[in-house]
Amino acid sequence: MMKPEREPRWLTWKRLTLCAVIAFTLAVSWVALDRDGARALDENACLACHGTEGLYKTNEAGDKISLFVDEKAVNTAAHRYIDCTTCHTAAPHDVATPLTKLSLAEKCGTCHKSEYKFHLQSIHGQQLVQGNPDVATCVDCHSPEGNPHSVIRVLEYNAPAYKKNIAETCAKCHDNKALMADYGIVEKVYESFMRSFHGKAIDLGNYQIGQLDVATCTNCHGYHDVKSVNDPTSPVAGMDNLLKTCQQCHVDAGPQFVAGFLGHKEASTEHVPAAHYTEIIFRVILTTVIAFGAVVVIAAIVRFSLKRWRK
Amino acid sequence: MATVAQAINREQAEDRIKRFDVHQIVQHAGLMVSFILLVLTGLPLKFSNLGISQWWVGIWGGLEVTRATHSFAAWMMAAVCLYHAGYLIYTILVLKRPFPVKIVPGLQDVFQVIEEIAYYLGIRKQKPLVDRFNWKEKFDYWAIFWGMPVMFISGFILMYPVFITSFLPGSVVPTALVAHSDEAMLALVWIVLVHVFFNHFTPSHFPINTSIFTGKVDREKYREEHALEYERMFNAGKPETEVKP
Repeated sequence: MMKPEREPRWLTWKRLTLCAVIAFTLAVSWVALDRDGARALDENACLACHGTEGLYKTNEAGDKISLFVDEKAVNTAAHRYIDCTTCHTAAPHDVATPLTKLSLAEKCGTCHKSEYKFHLQSIHGQQLVQGNPDVATCVDCHSPEGNPHSVIRVLEYNAPAYKKNIAETCAKCHDNKALMADYGIVEKVYESFMRSFHGKAIDLGNYQIGQLDVATCTNCHGYHDVKSVNDPTSPVAGMDNLLKTCQQCHVDAGPQFVAGFLGHKEASTEHVPAAHYTEIIFRVILTTVIAFGAVVVIAAIVRFSLKRWRK
Repeated sequence: MATVAQAINREQAEDRIKRFDVHQIVQHAGLMVSFILLVLTGLPLKFSNLGISQWWVGIWGGLEVTRATHSFAAWMMAAVCLYHAGYLIYTILVLKRPFPVKIVPGLQDVFQVIEEIAYYLGIRKQKPLVDRFNWKEKFDYWAIFWGMPVMFISGFILMYPVFITSFLPGSVVPTALVAHSDEAMLALVWIVLVHVFFNHFTPSHFPINTSIFTGKVDREKYREEHALEYERMFNAGKPETEVKP
């Protein structure tokens, strides 16, 4: 039998060192990977009070106005490194800002000057100036909650203005039948877009920007300066404008290419009747043939089952 | 070598009759492969709103990949059709085979449909006696014969809409889309429902009818399923083991 050997002392030290190295690595990565440390710039500690849920004030008219700012949202917002006072002035408690959509857009416009200028020319902006509260303004498309404190940069995948999400963002209002009826928009614009090749491509693509090189709402209608389709300056108003818009992607497209575009309308007896009648003919053929096939197969299944069961 | 000899022995022992030649086997295989590829890459486009379609296109590596595959399979299918057309012309004009009238449907096929359904419903005791092709085979053939130009022309319009509308009215594009999509659904449902059922799930063929892949059919099965042709082949004093299509 072999004599049991004493474990050398250096081996113990070696193991201890190894344990220390592992522990150190874990500790460092714990600190390095802990992303919760990313915080909004809050130089004046505004969030100490305003981060409290349920904080509100009552104005002269007796309305409750929330003063709560969601810290989580601010921490990941596009403007997280811009201090509160940039927008809310150096003496925020002393100013009374009118809380309207227009005042909000104006505020964004103090920095984003050109976007604001275009926005005021758009159908949304024109209505905004007239005090219409229905229309979309900056935060309605740039923040998931329509909240200026949670604006997300356009190239972030969860931004409402990220290409993949644009149609859904527009649909928040434009798929609202009651709201659209007020403006005489009867076409189901969202549904018809998602049925089109453009919409299908957006739907089937993932979030990689390379897979999103397809037209969505804003590519044809414009974005900051989006126009009503009844406005002659709209990129989709009239065949001439529409042709130029199509040619942005379909370079050699001609007038007939545009004429065959269904747009947001469904094919009907008036609108591209050929497609409408083809649909009817194929529906009849399809139903008849499949019904016939189903009858034969079901009859056969019944027969074969009976035969087996009787055996 | 031993395996080849064994295979030959087995074939003789099994007593099989040649039903399809190598061209027909290749044509069916080409059609089947291109059809499956077209369905796999075309279906998610029709049902693009479903989560499974988005997942499936992701598996392929994105819409560009499914689109390229769809185009490739379409040209493959077109090539198979040209092959078939060339095969028909060659066999008729050069090999002087008789025109393949057996695939042409006639009144007897209408009766056979009724008789077969009557048999399934227990009204008749016997299945109709079939010559070279039964009515389902004829239906499949002529459905493809009509469907292929529809699919190819509409698909070509959708593949090159800018080029097509440079000389045709624009309404052909949405019309082609409707035709392409509906005809595809018709073909798919018929193939899955009828073709696959009768060639995979009937008691005599479960799990698969291999005749179109091997070109051969067991003698007993042939006698049963193509009784009239079998009768003509073997009982008219002219025994032969190869059937001209």
